[in-house]
Amino acid sequence: MIEVKNLVRTFNSGDRTIKPVNDVSFELAQGTLASIVGKSGSGKSTLLSLLGALDKPTSGDVVVNGVSLAKMPDRKLTEYRRRDIGFVFQQFNLIPNLSAVDNVMLPMEFAGLRRAARLQRARELLEQVQLDPEKHGRRINRLSGGEQQRVAIARALANEPKLILADEPTGNLDEQTGDHIIELLSSLRREHNTTILVVTHDRALANKTDRRFRLQQGKLTEEPVRAKAVAGAPA
Amino acid sequence: MSVLARSVGNAFRNKVRTAAVVAVLAVAIGLALAMLVANQAVGAKVQELNASVGTVLTVNPAGGQGFEGGGEPLTANQAATAAAVPNVSAVVGTSSLRLRNATEAAAQTAAGGQGGPGGQGGPGGQGGPGGQAAATLTTSLTAAVDAGTLGNRNQASGTTGTTQPVRSLPITATGVGAEVDTAGKALNITEGTGLGDYSAESTNALLGTTLAAKNNLAIGSTFTINDQTYTVAGLFDAGTTFGNNAAYLTLPTAQALAGVPGELSSMIVTVDSLENVDTAKTALQAALGTDAADVTQGQNLETAVSSLGSVKNISFIAFIAALGTAGLIILLIMVMLVRERRREIGVLKAIGAPNRTIGLQFVLEALVLAALGSAAGAIIASFASGGIASALISTNTTSTTTAATTGRGAAMAGAAGGAGMPGGGAGFPGGQGGPFGGASQLLTSVTASASPGVIAGGIAAVFGVAIIGALVPALLTARIRPIEVLRGE
Repeated sequence: MIEVKNLVRTFNSGDRTIKPVNDVSFELAQGTLASIVGKSGSGKSTLLSLLGALDKPTSGDVVVNGVSLAKMPDRKLTEYRRRDIGFVFQQFNLIPNLSAVDNVMLPMEFAGLRRAARLQRARELLEQVQLDPEKHGRRINRLSGGEQQRVAIARALANEPKLILADEPTGNLDEQTGDHIIELLSSLRREHNTTILVVTHDRALANKTDRRFRLQQGKLTEEPVRAKAVAGAPA
Repeated sequence: MSVLARSVGNAFRNKVRTAAVVAVLAVAIGLALAMLVANQAVGAKVQELNASVGTVLTVNPAGGQGFEGGGEPLTANQAATAAAVPNVSAVVGTSSLRLRNATEAAAQTAAGGQGGPGGQGGPGGQGGPGGQAAATLTTSLTAAVDAGTLGNRNQASGTTGTTQPVRSLPITATGVGAEVDTAGKALNITEGTGLGDYSAESTNALLGTTLAAKNNLAIGSTFTINDQTYTVAGLFDAGTTFGNNAAYLTLPTAQALAGVPGELSSMIVTVDSLENVDTAKTALQAALGTDAADVTQGQNLETAVSSLGSVKNISFIAFIAALGTAGLIILLIMVMLVRERRREIGVLKAIGAPNRTIGLQFVLEALVLAALGSAAGAIIASFASGGIASALISTNTTSTTTAATTGRGAAMAGAAGGAGMPGGGAGFPGGQGGPFGGASQLLTSVTASASPGVIAGGIAAVFGVAIIGALVPALLTARIRPIEVLRGE
């Protein structure tokens, strides 16, 4: 269960104070696939950063399974990101001089998994995201955008997180690959009861989620979605 | 992939830049190591000098007037008194003789040259303060230093048209109670054995290498002093031309030849440690009395050691400066690398990398660069350290060397002035090629060798600096929030 309580994040830009996240509150049950839509600069990525403990709110709190992130020291926040969160960045943010399998192994290395175990799991995850096994050992900069996105998703799944935060996961992909990525995230939710929150411009993608939020001028509102849009969604 | 493998891979991300960084580091580290090696070599030399002769005091009869001689000779009783002084570990008596080639002496006598102007041991030459009048004896030996090498001053015809007889340097013979030279330094015997039997009946002698070569003598050869035959038991190398124009006999033999049994020209007193030298010197002077004996320390050695100490300090400062430069290079490189990879650090933090892992990754990367730079620097140091040490020593010991050379020049002039006037003091060490007189040779004999221990110590220091240089920027960056790095890109 994720509870977002009166979350505010402000930035100072010269004389102006910008509030990309302005008093946002909502709750997400475990195993929910949700989306946040909104215009560019509406604060979607900022909200995602706050939920993933990449940033600290100006006020308000995010409570994950009863634990407040606002009161957590940096060391614990790092542990939270490592254990509970899987990020899929819009720009993939993979380490360019490492291979696909090495990138997927990184979070497991930080979690203290033995090399043989993390190598095996990394290969399984790359197969799960349907990356050609021949490309597992290939450097990131020699993979296509779609392939890199699959590696990024595999990396996000490495430590079996409770929450996956995906920022425009299909933004750099063609429609077919984008659909496949959505199917992949849905199946993860089904198989592992993972909560998935997707920030997207893609209305088609948003329509396939269980819950849909819209962020406008820092304010979050929930929009109705078609029931059972995605196979396996919780009742 | 482990953090080590990742760091090694990162170090070679940009091969051209890595090569350039390693080259610059190699020069700085090589210089640092060369300075450290020079520092250690000079330090070892200072220790060696202090250990060999730094604890030696010389006792001469009081009241000497240089070449005029003077003062009451020292005695065996005074030697016993000296031995009883606290912290004195050994007392060796010496008896100085002056040998003149019998043929030349006869020719000069026939020419009336005896007793001419310019007494033995002119000012600053053979005679030092308190020198006892050395007995002059005849020998079959010919001096190793030819008169012609002294500027031909004794060969030239005067304005009166009188032809001067051929003259050469006298040969210094010293009776010793142990195999040490007149400064207490152990003789460097290059061939044969020591004197062995120290009784009055001993006919063994040690000759300087050049003196033996001049007279075609080898181990077992014989020569005469006052018509008594002596056998060459060993050859020694004093390190100087004048030092090798000398012979050593046993003390009783020399005393018997001089006809002064029980009398000593000087005493070599060894103190048990360098720290006790000043105390022992004061106590020794008090025990012997200022009216009977002068207790001195080798001033040239102090100068030499002081000069080497300057080289040691300079090389240490240069080592620190070069090490600091290497550290600064690593720091700047790592600052550049960390700034270049801020996004990567942000990503690593976002996926759960603790700060220590990020710091370790950059430290290992810096250590890879430092290791490569150290390997190349060690090669540079192994070739350059000898030359750098020599350059430092020759630059910083000019005054000492000049002073030593001047001293030897005065000794030459004094010694060449003629052998006729009796009373030339011969007791002061350093007059004729003693170890203190050869200060320049002492200084330049420093050998800088790149020992594994010193190199390892230097590289450990470089690694220490590299760790700090890498940790500071990496941890400063790792402490900021991941979003600040990711958003900033």
